[in-house]
Amino acid sequence: MSVWLGILFFILAGFAFSAIGLGLSFLIHPRSKNRFKLETYECGLPTIGPTWVQFKTQYFTYALIFVIFDVEVLYLYPWAVSFTQLGFSGLVKMFIFIFILVLGLWYAWKEGALEWR
Amino acid sequence: MNIDFSLLITEISLAILGLTVFTLGLILPAKSSQKGLGTFSLCGLLVILALTIASWGNQGETLGGMYLADYFTSFFKILSLTALILVILGSKNYVNSQIENHLEYYSTLIFATLGMIIMFSAGDFITLYLGLELMTISFIVLTSFRRTNGKSLEAGMKYLLLAGLSSAVLLYGLSLVYGAAGTVFIKEIAGNIAQGYFNPLLIVGLAMLIAGFGFKISAAPFHMWAPDVYEGAPTPVTAFLAVGSKAASFAVLIRVFLGAFLEMQEQWTMLIAFLAALSMLIGNLTAFAQTNIKRMLAFSSIAQAGYILVGLVAANEAGIKGVMFYSFIYVFATIGAFTVVSEVYNKTGSDDIADYAGLSQRAPLAAVVLLISMLSMAGIPPLAGFTGKYYLFITVVQDYLWLVYLGLILSMVSVYYYLRVVLVMFRDEPADPAPLKLGSTASLTLWLTLAATLFLGIYPWPLAKLANTVAIAFLAGL
Amino acid sequence: MIEFALNYAWLVPLLPVLSFLTIVFLTRPWARLSSAVAIGAMLGSFLLASSLAWGVFTNPAFIEEPLHYSLRWLGMEGFTVNAGILIDPASAMMLFMVSLVALLVQIYSTGYMKGDPHYSLFFAYLSLFAASMLGLVISSNLLQMFIFWELVGLCSYLLIGFYTYKVSAREAAKKAFITTRIGDFGMLLGILFLQIQFNTLDLLELAAVIPNFAQLGVSLGLLTLIAILFFLGPVAKSGQFPLHVWLPDAMEGPTPVSALIHAATMVVAGVYLVGRMLFLFVEVPGSLTVVAFIGAFTALFAATIAVTQREIKRILAYSTVSQLGYMMLALGVGSLSASLFHLWTHAFFKALMFLAAGSVLHALHNKADVWEMGGLIRKMPITGWTFVVGGLAIAGIPPFAGFWSKDEILLVTWEYARHGHALGYLFFAFAALTAFLTAFYIWRLIFLVFFGPEKANDHVHESPLSMTLPLLVLAVLSGVAGLIGTPWTNLWSTWIHFGDAHSGEPAYLLMLLSVVLALAGIGLAFILYCKDQDKQAARSLAKKYPALYNLSYRKYYIDEAYTWFTRKIVDGGAKVIYLFDIYLVDGVVNGLAALTKGSGQGLKYLQTGKLQTYALIFFLAVLVLTVAFNLDSANALAHLGGVK
Repeated sequence: MSVWLGILFFILAGFAFSAIGLGLSFLIHPRSKNRFKLETYECGLPTIGPTWVQFKTQYFTYALIFVIFDVEVLYLYPWAVSFTQLGFSGLVKMFIFIFILVLGLWYAWKEGALEWR
Repeated sequence: MNIDFSLLITEISLAILGLTVFTLGLILPAKSSQKGLGTFSLCGLLVILALTIASWGNQGETLGGMYLADYFTSFFKILSLTALILVILGSKNYVNSQIENHLEYYSTLIFATLGMIIMFSAGDFITLYLGLELMTISFIVLTSFRRTNGKSLEAGMKYLLLAGLSSAVLLYGLSLVYGAAGTVFIKEIAGNIAQGYFNPLLIVGLAMLIAGFGFKISAAPFHMWAPDVYEGAPTPVTAFLAVGSKAASFAVLIRVFLGAFLEMQEQWTMLIAFLAALSMLIGNLTAFAQTNIKRMLAFSSIAQAGYILVGLVAANEAGIKGVMFYSFIYVFATIGAFTVVSEVYNKTGSDDIADYAGLSQRAPLAAVVLLISMLSMAGIPPLAGFTGKYYLFITVVQDYLWLVYLGLILSMVSVYYYLRVVLVMFRDEPADPAPLKLGSTASLTLWLTLAATLFLGIYPWPLAKLANTVAIAFLAGL
Repeated sequence: MIEFALNYAWLVPLLPVLSFLTIVFLTRPWARLSSAVAIGAMLGSFLLASSLAWGVFTNPAFIEEPLHYSLRWLGMEGFTVNAGILIDPASAMMLFMVSLVALLVQIYSTGYMKGDPHYSLFFAYLSLFAASMLGLVISSNLLQMFIFWELVGLCSYLLIGFYTYKVSAREAAKKAFITTRIGDFGMLLGILFLQIQFNTLDLLELAAVIPNFAQLGVSLGLLTLIAILFFLGPVAKSGQFPLHVWLPDAMEGPTPVSALIHAATMVVAGVYLVGRMLFLFVEVPGSLTVVAFIGAFTALFAATIAVTQREIKRILAYSTVSQLGYMMLALGVGSLSASLFHLWTHAFFKALMFLAAGSVLHALHNKADVWEMGGLIRKMPITGWTFVVGGLAIAGIPPFAGFWSKDEILLVTWEYARHGHALGYLFFAFAALTAFLTAFYIWRLIFLVFFGPEKANDHVHESPLSMTLPLLVLAVLSGVAGLIGTPWTNLWSTWIHFGDAHSGEPAYLLMLLSVVLALAGIGLAFILYCKDQDKQAARSLAKKYPALYNLSYRKYYIDEAYTWFTRKIVDGGAKVIYLFDIYLVDGVVNGLAALTKGSGQGLKYLQTGKLQTYALIFFLAVLVLTVAFNLDSANALAHLGGVK
């Protein structure tokens, strides 16, 4: 049962951690109410017009492609660090990996995903 | 880490083929010149099928046990590739007229197949999940392929959300099993359970695994997505979804439940039997009320999943053999039927059973193939379906006699709704008596499936023997 | 070629199957192409079969050691069926004969069926018919044989009823199918009994185990039952009394079909099967006597009917029944050799006579009454003279084919009688009397149709070459086919025999008797129907003995008796069962069906199409499954307390 007690402890600790943090800030923060605090936080500028605008789906396509290549770096980094140990085969494998991703980019490009219409 | 590439020959060549088709599609300028992609994929797949058959008997594990190759995987690889080849062959006409993006269509089909193969060749849960998602995501794309068709989009959306839900449940189950058994390797789990790692969490995890895979094989009560998705998806995709995804998921079910949880057989067979019975009941009974042939076939495929699950209930050599045999013959019957449906849709623009009136006069071959395929699914001798059902049900006669009776009664019931279509095709006068010309490749597919269904019904021994050998080897290798 | 033919004997039946499929699915719209496909395939079969037969007959090893290969076909625990091929002299002979006759019939049909709207289909059916028979002949296994046996029945049904617009054709087709089904039922029971008792259906294995039936715990009574049940199939298929009624009606089909049915493909299947299973019958002496008796009786019985019939094809049909009786008689007295020899010669002269009759009917636009014909030999010399050759052969005039085989049957019957079987003398008397009657009725037909004064046959002319060529070939064969089995050469009985090869001395006295009987029959026919221009004597004979005449002309009222039986007894019984059926059985069945349909309609509403519902059901199911799983595994709960 000791193992389970450990898990229970972690669960309780997890709840406690967030509860203590929120609770403490609730207790100690200065209570000053003003108009600006209720505004939506938009990069420090007051919004112009309604904020419930619809985004073009293209926006998400951009975002997705960005994420893909953003994440690619995540894989490239450890590879670059241990590049000397991996040797030639490592190089080839990474080229295959990048080639497949480039194919995807090519496709996206050809389908017009990179042009804002 | 040493990688034994000879064991990965099918997977690597499939990946290369998929990427080549993709690249070719990008290079070829005009949409019209992309029609050749189908032929190209077909040739490539035939070569890969030949390679796979030639490497029959290549056994071993690679990537540190994460990836397995044995007779069992070879059998299902051949099955998936055969199904894919037949689907592509049969759908050429349909694709040319209904689908714009050939490049995506063919490469996604190939990647889906790659996903299946990775899924059932996986030696651990992570690889398994990877394959499963590759397959599922490909199918989501394929399902919503007809972008201008509302039903197709709806189907894609439904499949996306529900497959996501089921994946979540499956992953949760997998992690619970991992938590309880302490490893993600299927073989090690079996060992750990035998050593007494037994734990209630394992049971919860197992239930969730059943739910996750039950979704993929469209077994009741996890079947709700199937009729809507089957109806909305482009018909060749439906055929491949019904055949490939299902067969691969059955292979995984066998791999996981017999490979990892054989010790706990007493606990899960009863549940699987319950799922089998429910699937047969719901599938067969709801099929009665359908007026759309794709929906009817969807419910029938739920019922078929129930029949195949019976082999898993037995959880022995004969049961595995039954599952493999039935999955294989189911390929031919289903693809035969769906090819007819897609050809008819291609010409008449309708999937209503009522519009099949007089098909026997308009396209005799199509009518005969639909007839034979349906009779095979209903299990009428001397067609392959009968032999398949025989092999399945004989395995549980001793322990689950009620299941056998239920299966027999519902098989008889199923004859009714199959024959209703037959009656419409052969008795009713067509509204438009003009002959319905089938595409040459579609005709070839129909001939092939017809020949296979008849041949395996009359002379089942070669396939049965093969399945038997594989089943014995599988159990011996545990 | 010979080597190839022996190794690929299964190609012989497969080729016509392929041509059947090709015609039905591909070439059906093009009539000429279809017939070319059919004939080409049949020619291939024939060439294979003849080189195969050559290989078998020139190599004495095959006579003792049949060529046998098989594949495992069906299998489950304790029950295996091998499908395979058995080549011995008997099957080689049959392959040759069947493929040859089928080929000639197909060539003939190109002329005879010209202009028929279903010309292609006719050739497709002919191919399948021949294929089924060829398949039956080389089957090594009774179940496999039974399948082909049924296929033969199916094809005969399709072909007899080929003129679907004719009521009589449809009726005849049904009659043929149902009558032979009665026999098949018995045969199937026999096969099942064999499987249960001996656990094999392989012909060679059965031949090995059946002689030891006593050691295997099978009683003689049971074996007798098996033999009798088994014999029912051949009785029906080979038109033996009392199930012969379908055969004369089967002439409603196109004439080439009749030729095929009567000579090569269908009716001889029964004889062949009994010959194949002779090892079963010899173990049960009583059963062989039954076979012999039915054979002898049928021979005489049918011959007496043939004497008074008026339709040309009907006379020939009864003659077939009668000749089949001969073959059964020979089997009954234990001589496979004589029986198959007669089958062999009969195939040629009967095919010849049917095709010639077809040629006559073709010329006369299907006027079938022999009394309305006459003097045709001048208008149709080839048809006429070839028919005469056939007539000489069937009557048993040396050196034509029929003489040798019939003589052989008489001889074996006589020897059977001499070896202490008192009934044998009766059989012999029957056979001898039949020989006389055969000569008489066939020559009555010949004299009436081809000789005598011409009768209103203005536009009659000889048939085209496609029809006369097969006639000529068959006429030559009817002349010489018997020479391989003369008492002096005696090749036949060294090839095909059951037990020890028969090698008797030539029985000159018997030969003389047989020739005298034949000549007497021909002479009587000549006096009554040729010399006597007005046929006064013949008519007055019929008038003088009206009872006898009517009995024969009405075929002993057997059809009427069957009709009465089905009307009164079967229909009456059926009525009772019908009432039971509609009120009790249908009530239950309809109730169940309504329930099933209703539940389908109800379940339909579960499938709402709403994603939320689906997700809800999915999660509910997971929940239920998890809970049920935990409750179900008492083991799991037990472990719950024991978790470390």
